[in-house]
Amino acid sequence: MKLSQIGIQRLLRIASVLIILGLGLEVISLLWFHPLSFVLFAFVAAALIGLGILVYLASLVFVVSAPAERQE
Amino acid sequence: MIGVLICQIVLSIVLASVFLVRPSLTRAASWKILAFIGLCVLPALCIVGGMNTHMQRSEQTKFCISCHAMENYGKSLHLDDPKYIPAQHFQNHRVPPVMACYACHTDYTIYGPLKDKLKGLTRIYMQYVSTPPNPITIPGGFKNAQCLHCHAGARSFEENPVHSAMMSTLTSNQLSCISSGCHDSVHDASQVDHLKMWSLRQ
Repeated sequence: MKLSQIGIQRLLRIASVLIILGLGLEVISLLWFHPLSFVLFAFVAAALIGLGILVYLASLVFVVSAPAERQE
Repeated sequence: MIGVLICQIVLSIVLASVFLVRPSLTRAASWKILAFIGLCVLPALCIVGGMNTHMQRSEQTKFCISCHAMENYGKSLHLDDPKYIPAQHFQNHRVPPVMACYACHTDYTIYGPLKDKLKGLTRIYMQYVSTPPNPITIPGGFKNAQCLHCHAGARSFEENPVHSAMMSTLTSNQLSCISSGCHDSVHDASQVDHLKMWSLRQ
């Protein structure tokens, strides 16, 4: 499936879910004083947030590319 | 500091929730800017802030000894015998007590803390996936640079005839400060339960 077929609104929802999940895990990692909390933050929370940001940026690219496709 | 980060995270969650429920809001220009802040800028700042907080937290003594394998090393800081170098430094505040482990066990280089984090991750792997070594050893051995970072240039160290006679071998790490016959009483983690402890009387 092409990115343009998914739709910007769905991409925004996916980005939001990923960011909320990542931030929720970041809060847990900050409140949990244990060596594993760093692993939870670095490998799970930060990865989810980063992926959410990338999906959001992909949605921006999709918005920019849409009018060009319509002109064609 | 952690309070500011939590506020930032909560604000970011609220904004992301708004765009989860009503993604159509981003059609308006002002909401587009808000979406950029809520879904890109703030989460990126949360990653940076979180990493900074975790890095600072992992420098604390109580963080190091929160691992089961490190418990006896933490206890050894309270030994009631001045010949034990870590205990002597910890009890007399020759190192900051809240970050005593970090003060003596990090490389004093620009990437020291980062290298230590990577080493620490291998320790976590050993603890939870494979088996931790017994006794725990420092890869590459304890480097004199850790001691010389504070002691080099100090009058009591420089004017000691034993130190001045072997200064070049100490600085080149040919002879370890904790080698036999010198400052060889370090943590002694295996015997710590049988030794007398010191505690601060209130």
